[in-house]
Amino acid sequence: MEFFFNPFDNLLCILLGISFTVWITSLLVFIIVPAIFGVSFGIRRLYMKTLLKVFEWATVRLERGAKENNHPLYKPYSNAIIAKEPTSLEEEIKEIRRSGSNKDLDSASEFEMSDIFYFARRGVESIMDDEVTKRFSAEELESWNLLTRSNYNFQYISLRLTVLWGLGLLIRYGLLLPLRVTLAFTGVGLLVFLTSLIGLLPNGRIKNLLSEKVHLMCYRICVRALTAIITYHDSENKPKNGGICVANHTSPIDVIILASDGCYAMVGQIHGGLMGVIQRSMVKACPHVWFERSEVKDRHLVAKRLSDHVDDKTKLPILIFPEGTCINNTSVMMFKKGSFEIGTTVYPVAIKYDPRFGDAFWNSSKFGMVNYLLRMMSSWAIVCSVWYLPPMSREEGEDAVHFANRVKAAIARQGGLVDLLWDGGLKRDKVKDTFKEEQQKLYSKMLVGTQEDRSRS
Amino acid sequence: TGPRCPTTRRSRELQIWVKPNCFLALVTLPFVSEVRRLDKRFKKLDLDDSGELSVKEFMSLPELQQNPLVQRVIDIFDKDGNGEVDFSEFIEGVLQFSVKGTKEQRLHFAFRIYDLDNDGFISNGELFLTLKTMVGKNLEDVQLQQLVDKTILSADTDRDGRVSFQEFCKVSQTNGVL
Repeated sequence: MEFFFNPFDNLLCILLGISFTVWITSLLVFIIVPAIFGVSFGIRRLYMKTLLKVFEWATVRLERGAKENNHPLYKPYSNAIIAKEPTSLEEEIKEIRRSGSNKDLDSASEFEMSDIFYFARRGVESIMDDEVTKRFSAEELESWNLLTRSNYNFQYISLRLTVLWGLGLLIRYGLLLPLRVTLAFTGVGLLVFLTSLIGLLPNGRIKNLLSEKVHLMCYRICVRALTAIITYHDSENKPKNGGICVANHTSPIDVIILASDGCYAMVGQIHGGLMGVIQRSMVKACPHVWFERSEVKDRHLVAKRLSDHVDDKTKLPILIFPEGTCINNTSVMMFKKGSFEIGTTVYPVAIKYDPRFGDAFWNSSKFGMVNYLLRMMSSWAIVCSVWYLPPMSREEGEDAVHFANRVKAAIARQGGLVDLLWDGGLKRDKVKDTFKEEQQKLYSKMLVGTQEDRSRS
Repeated sequence: TGPRCPTTRRSRELQIWVKPNCFLALVTLPFVSEVRRLDKRFKKLDLDDSGELSVKEFMSLPELQQNPLVQRVIDIFDKDGNGEVDFSEFIEGVLQFSVKGTKEQRLHFAFRIYDLDNDGFISNGELFLTLKTMVGKNLEDVQLQQLVDKTILSADTDRDGRVSFQEFCKVSQTNGVL
């Protein structure tokens, strides 16, 4: 029995050894070394182009197949059921009244029974499709990207398509996922190890330089761990020391994307577990601003620590996400005014993900962190564009809320996102009653206003 | 009145159970995709997967919470009065306001908002209460009562002290805005 297995055993061992060596070498040469030096072979871009061609073909096949079988295709944005127009309460009610049959133009009546149409229509419109809740779930795609998670029309259409999908599955889970997981562990491990080492050095120029290099290198490895293909625009506007960098928030990956191109001081709450270990070792190498859970509630304390940090010009620019929560990258929601009260230059950054290759949005009510990362690593790639916008500062006599909205509008415009006034916190909380009272006030003004006009004339 | 449709109609993909005497019998291909979209929306709103929408689930929509008449709108959707809106009630309610709904349906919907006890007439008290929800604390009760009295006076052509559906339609005849 032993003779029978021995030669095969040896052969197997040799084969395994060789493939392992080849694997590690190619990993090193093609991925880790370029990450250290910040260069790129362009492999990822080639991959992206190939994938796009495949997706186009897949969508065409899907549409053709659907037509042949007479199945209605579900298209998320067409077939608008209710035609919405953005007008104010007063305009709309006047419109409704004006088109009444027996009205003469002079008598402005105070109340019409038809006024109720405005509220009823608005109510039903919101029930049908509202602007807010659709920002808290993944964006729906027009074309199919061979991932069942983003497919709403999936039925058996053709053998070729299914084979392609199966092949894609194999590649993503069998080849790409293990590769990415290895890289991720390497990146994070190196980060923790090297920053702890650097922490032993005395404070000075060398320490800052080394810490910069180490941070950049590890983040670049993490970028490759996600196969993130990032295009940076307008790098001349990159944030400088003593400033605050604000960006729209889609997922925790935003941090990795921004930090692989520049060095920032992070702001956040100290977590336990692995995150906590990473946070604690990072702060040894360069000053980040981490808060204990109890300190987060104290707004003055937070503001003071942030101002102290920006006043010190040797420290890195702070990275903040003023929305406070993850939004699905189709819109920008209300910016919390805290970071805009500090009174220093603000560097806005717009991040827009291309949803065709993988959905980067973290729906924290649906997936936990680990689940989310696994989904990220098993999609095709993360493709995004980063725009560095020119710096803005608060003008004379401008209050923080107004400034925040100005910055938000600039980010929304550049990223091609919808600019909303709604608070991202509505993901979990209810609307304040003041909104309803606002509507009531507006309507009453209409009724009373006309009364005053009449009594005056 | 209107075409009769079979008691239940089940589509392979859509799984809608539809009550009799409803206008959904006029199903055509583009219409099916609208219903499918509504189905998706319904499932999204149904947070506890109970198959029916409660008031609480409607109230999870921020834009609806700021509408002072939201409770009345939901009450009208809830045809059988069990406090929850099931899928066929949902479809019927929403489609009345869509491009597929008729002016008559919309007028009826608006009338129902005023007619709190659903007796087919809008009384002085009902109009007052509805107006009160629309303006909140911003107008005095006395002012409000004056408006109500004036409105009923001008709308009530048969002088019975309340507004019937026909009188309502005449008063709020709008051309094409709905």
